[in-house]
Amino acid sequence: MKKILVVEDEEGLRLLYQEELEAEGYEVITARNGKEAIQKLEEGKPDLIILDIVMPVMDGMEALGRIVGKDRKIPIILNTSHSGYRENFMSWVADAYVTKSSDLEELKKTVKKLLTKSKTG
Amino acid sequence: MKKIVTMLLAGGRGERLYPLTRDRAKPAVPFGAIYRIIDFTLSNCLNSDIRHIYILTQYKSTSLHRHVQLGWNILSPILGEFIEVVPAQQRIDEHWYKGTADAIFQNLYILQHERPDLVLILSGDHIYKMDYRKMIAFHIEKGADLTVAAIRMDRTMSREFGVIEVDPEGRIIGFQEKPEDPRTIPGDPEGILASMGVYVFNTEIMIKRLIEDVRSDSSHDFGKDIIPSMIQKDRIFAFDFRQGDRGEMGYWRDVGTIDAYYEANMDLVSVIPQLNLYDPEWPIFTHQAPFPPAKTVLLEEGRIGTALNSILSNGSIISGGSVKRSILSPRASVHSYADVEDSILLSGVDVGRHAKIRRAIIDKDVQVPQGMKIGYDLEEDARQFTVTASGIVVVPKWIKL
Repeated sequence: MKKILVVEDEEGLRLLYQEELEAEGYEVITARNGKEAIQKLEEGKPDLIILDIVMPVMDGMEALGRIVGKDRKIPIILNTSHSGYRENFMSWVADAYVTKSSDLEELKKTVKKLLTKSKTG
Repeated sequence: MKKIVTMLLAGGRGERLYPLTRDRAKPAVPFGAIYRIIDFTLSNCLNSDIRHIYILTQYKSTSLHRHVQLGWNILSPILGEFIEVVPAQQRIDEHWYKGTADAIFQNLYILQHERPDLVLILSGDHIYKMDYRKMIAFHIEKGADLTVAAIRMDRTMSREFGVIEVDPEGRIIGFQEKPEDPRTIPGDPEGILASMGVYVFNTEIMIKRLIEDVRSDSSHDFGKDIIPSMIQKDRIFAFDFRQGDRGEMGYWRDVGTIDAYYEANMDLVSVIPQLNLYDPEWPIFTHQAPFPPAKTVLLEEGRIGTALNSILSNGSIISGGSVKRSILSPRASVHSYADVEDSILLSGVDVGRHAKIRRAIIDKDVQVPQGMKIGYDLEEDARQFTVTASGIVVVPKWIKL
């Protein structure tokens, strides 16, 4: 079973993502900010990360660099309500950029696509 | 007008220049009596009207920081011009720079902040005079994504350099890092095109390629990884150094080894050096403390202060000693009956009476005691100093003799 790490500071969203992704057949672990995400990365070895950008303690943009420094190949989806962060060069490090929406179809599709790609590639 | 930001890589350890690099990074190694190696690249920038410069440092950077602080604090921040030293900060990742490409990637925030159209990447390790404007104009004219400055070298040198293979239009079609069996220049079977470590990149393409590199198994080096990865998919061109060579002699030196360093210094005391430091249109800037002019004293029988075929810096005094084919840096002193030949004395070196020195490099502030001989018995010298294959003796800084 593929393991996904959801990094999101808003509890409601975290639970929503967890339920919806578990229903798709993934194992889901969560973190509330970038710093926790790095700890979880070391403990849990996820196959993919969904990363919010605006978070307390350590934001997603900073976490992105640190995550890649530890595991250069892990697929990362940046997930935020502000598409403006695409202009930040650092965001280009992520494999995909999905704008937050109550409909998780695009996110699920992107997860599936990246997991298939990382399996074959 | 394109916005250009320059990133000057000055983190080189210069291990083969040891012990000159024991206490300083390679770009901070003194050269030509009053300069540091980095002064040549920085002077190229200013003489090419390039005034947005970040110097990326890493190992043993104190000496370099001090030099840049003292000598290069000359631009006007109010006019948006600057030379700024950026130490490795572990901003993205908690390790030192893993390669030249990683050094740029780790400083992505600078490019984010500046948002330049083009990035000029330079190394602080080389001695040459080049008008970067010509290379930038070439880059724009070719519509290139990346342009690499290239110099013709003898094919026997291929193990030292990145070797570029070009088509007749100058487009790069191959790149070999330090190959044993290099691709030679079309029509010039004895020549190779060596990369000078000078790059002009379109910013966005560079960042994309840097990120691809960060996310793959790689040594994170422009020569080994980034350039080869771009050959198939991007427009990359070689710029012939001769078209931008201010000295018009094809002069470019890596001074990567003690012997190469010694030879490049000694070129300066020849009658017509290959490296012209006298071009009023292309001044080489540096930091010089306000020492008094050089002086020779004593004119008695058998005790005459002389300097022949030599370079003397401010603050140096030859007091009744003899100096031939040598370079005296600021505050170097040679006392009575002492004899200095074919040597480089760095700042503050003091050669005592009756001492004899030949084919040696004496690092900063070393006091050579009365009557000591250096360079006359290499086996003996090798007991306490570095002696190179060609017999140059290097006396390190701080040593008590």
